[in-house]
Amino acid sequence: MIAKILRIFRRDALVATRDSMLILIIAMPIALAVGILLFAPGITDSSVRIGLLKDDGAEHIAFMENYAQVELFGSVQELERRVNKRDEIAGMVFMDPGYEIIVQGDEDPGLLNYAKFLNSLFTLGITREDATAQMLSFEKTVPPLKTKLVNMLILMMIMLAGMIISLGIVEEKADNTINAINVTPVSQNGFIVGKSLLGVVSTLGSIVVSLLILGYRDIDWLMILLVGLTSMMLTFIVGFLQGLGSDDVIAAAAGVKMTMLPIAGSIAGYELLAERWQWTMYWSPFYWAYKANDLILSKRADWPTVLVCVGLVLGISMLIFIMAMPKIRKGLS
Amino acid sequence: MITVRNLSHSYSKDGKMAVNDISFEIERGETFGFLGPSGAGKSTTQGVLTGLLKLQKGEVTVAGYDLNKVRNERFNKIGVSFEQSNVYSKLTALENLKYFADLFDVPTRDPHELLALVGLEGREKDRAGSFSKGMKHRLTFARSMINRPELWFLDEPTTGLDPAIAATIKDIIKEEKAKGTTTFLTTHNMYIADELCDRVAFIIDGEIRLIDTPRNLKQRFGQKLIEVEYIADSRPVKETLKTIDDGDRRKLAGIVTSYDIVTMHSKEATLEEIFIQVTGRGLL
Repeated sequence: MIAKILRIFRRDALVATRDSMLILIIAMPIALAVGILLFAPGITDSSVRIGLLKDDGAEHIAFMENYAQVELFGSVQELERRVNKRDEIAGMVFMDPGYEIIVQGDEDPGLLNYAKFLNSLFTLGITREDATAQMLSFEKTVPPLKTKLVNMLILMMIMLAGMIISLGIVEEKADNTINAINVTPVSQNGFIVGKSLLGVVSTLGSIVVSLLILGYRDIDWLMILLVGLTSMMLTFIVGFLQGLGSDDVIAAAAGVKMTMLPIAGSIAGYELLAERWQWTMYWSPFYWAYKANDLILSKRADWPTVLVCVGLVLGISMLIFIMAMPKIRKGLS
Repeated sequence: MITVRNLSHSYSKDGKMAVNDISFEIERGETFGFLGPSGAGKSTTQGVLTGLLKLQKGEVTVAGYDLNKVRNERFNKIGVSFEQSNVYSKLTALENLKYFADLFDVPTRDPHELLALVGLEGREKDRAGSFSKGMKHRLTFARSMINRPELWFLDEPTTGLDPAIAATIKDIIKEEKAKGTTTFLTTHNMYIADELCDRVAFIIDGEIRLIDTPRNLKQRFGQKLIEVEYIADSRPVKETLKTIDDGDRRKLAGIVTSYDIVTMHSKEATLEEIFIQVTGRGLL
């Protein structure tokens, strides 16, 4: 049966190379990953940036270069324009009797505190040699904005897995080939698994390639792939149901896109709801997937927490799977 | 090869039966025709026998497998050619056959040979989506032979084909019969049934009215007829007269002596005429 399942996957993969919509769906996440990399300058860089004037004292510039990435500007106006850009940088301008810190206003408090801290050290003439403490960590090993964007990208890829399955089923329906498969020794379960494989392989592949492009080489890959695989289960169910219930590609794609609603709601709930209201999102497997991914991408995940999230994703998805399976089986008969 | 006992099937819960308590047997190597008009229950019966429809009531064994115990391996022995062609548009003719060949557990036929057999040689690398309706139908027919079936279900195998291709298809069916393949032929084309089938069953309103060989049916129900066309009052007149009816025989003698005969043919009753006689309904 495994050979037959793989044969179904190989056929689907061949058809995918001949279907512009499928090519687009598979390639789009990679393009978005490149987009995040290109159009969000600085989010891959977690070091602190300090903007100084070129005519600032050499001693001050050298001191700051020890502790931050320093950018030099010809005038206060140039420095202000730089500070007003999207990424985080703190400007320092000497205004007698001391330095004034220029910020945009929406920076991470950590950056402002760090800039103030450096300024105090310089003003007081304290150097590394005078330090008695070992380390001060703000626990910002990975930029939070980047983590959120990448996490959203992963959930979008998972939604696209459902769309790939849905389009595959619509193709079978349009060509009237489900009956032809039903009179071969391939079991219905084998067919369902075979038709799901392209979604699984292409999505896990897209996740890996996107994370590599975005510089997440040292995350726990097993964790991220496990969360990806389990959270795909629900989109598979939606993919099969939409494929079987739709007569054309557009209707199927539109139906699967509705999955974005619980995905977007889960992300919004996780990010915006107060801690005491978080329980209102516990029903959504995407909430747990987003939470697990957030921990993994920011390198704060441990196996017990990830396994709890995976278990909840699986449990909720299984309930929906049990309810949906009779309808899927009937549609494939 | 097929045993059906008291098979009933309904699509609704109101007690209306699409197939009602039918029973028949088909011997190994036999070509069995299932004749009836649209909605008579032909497709439902074939759907149950091929496993596409769940067996609701009755006892059915197909190729040695009891349909109450679902075993997909039985499809290794079965080939099904559907009335509505069903091939992958985005795959070439050759890829279609190779794909299905890989889904069986038994030695399969060479796809090139099958494509040549149905007149699709030279079109192996063309995508099925670019094929005409007739070509898709031939590809569907070729696919049904890929696993060298012992039992072959054919649903309207020549519908929509031009006469030359239809003749080729009929020849293939005869060749397979000569090899010992059992064929279950569903059709409303009485000429095909008459030419190919060892026995035919007439089904109407979900019930089998009669099962026999075409020859026996003609002997039992057929009447020798004479079709005569003659000129009367400068106008052509056409009449069909029974040779066993005294009145018709006298009338025929009168026509021959009194009018100019244009054409005159003796004619056997067709299966369609016998079907109408038995069921009171036409095949279309």
